[in-house]
Amino acid sequence: MAFHPPKPVSMTLNLAPMVDVMMCLIIFFLLASRIVDAEHRPVNLPVARSAREPEPEEMGRRVTINVLPAADDPLGADYVVQAWNGRALVERRLPAEDVAAYLQARARAVADDAGGLRCIIRADREVAYGHVEVVLRGCGLARISHVVFAAQVAKPVAQPHAEERP
Amino acid sequence: MNYEFPEAVSERIPNLAPMVDVIMVILIFFILGASLQLTREGVLQTQLDPRSGPSEGTPVNIVPAVKIALEQAGPDDCNIYVMGEPLAGNSFDSLALYLDQRRQAGADTQNPVVIAAQAGVRWKHVIAAMDASVRAGFTNVQFAVSLAGGTPRTP
Repeated sequence: MAFHPPKPVSMTLNLAPMVDVMMCLIIFFLLASRIVDAEHRPVNLPVARSAREPEPEEMGRRVTINVLPAADDPLGADYVVQAWNGRALVERRLPAEDVAAYLQARARAVADDAGGLRCIIRADREVAYGHVEVVLRGCGLARISHVVFAAQVAKPVAQPHAEERP
Repeated sequence: MNYEFPEAVSERIPNLAPMVDVIMVILIFFILGASLQLTREGVLQTQLDPRSGPSEGTPVNIVPAVKIALEQAGPDDCNIYVMGEPLAGNSFDSLALYLDQRRQAGADTQNPVVIAAQAGVRWKHVIAAMDASVRAGFTNVQFAVSLAGGTPRTP
């Protein structure tokens, strides 16, 4: 009886499905990072010792408004929001008198959602309170009760050890 | 003369390993980029009074545990008043100390602390007042908002 050794087989992993999955992940994170970048426009935030990093479940449906010092008016402020123009997220500057209408429109869009809408106010530390008050007044008119102020988390002050105290 | 046929097209599989390497690096870059952005800043939260809104028509009267007033004093400073009286020390650490004493004296920390600031007061001072309240244990911080529209034109 003749013995036939098996033919050598070249084994290669089929990486095509893995590439497909990774491409999907890249597209997801690319879009997510663009949205995150858009919401986290560099702002000179005030410092607060009691500020804490938000839990992911606390951030739910939200509308973010950046209140920045106006470039051309030392006493003015720009209200910057992110808006979808059909192709991409773009910055939109709102006049102060349009802030309430914008918030009301956003609140109406999620009116059926039981969780409601949060308003995240990212205001520059040097702007006058009156400009932030415009947004607070708009939240009241739009019945957005949950308002979140962005702040820098202050680093904890180093406490001296007990034996070092005088 | 021997003629060798070329290898069948179906058997020529491109080597995807370098592509996977590159995609992996890009993926890690985006994951880290997104997560670093998300955890960079903190928040202070408040719940506006549910009675506020467009249909009420009348101002909401809140009975505060403590009322803090911030008055503009120069371009980069403010005066602090508590329950209508100037705060000794006029600093936000003094305010936190005062509120802590109020809490220890039995003040209900669920009652609202109302911050009423003049329109020209810097936002950092308002946040400092809110920060002092939260640090002292008063987490229900409300803001007195004027019903008149408009934006501040005074420095």
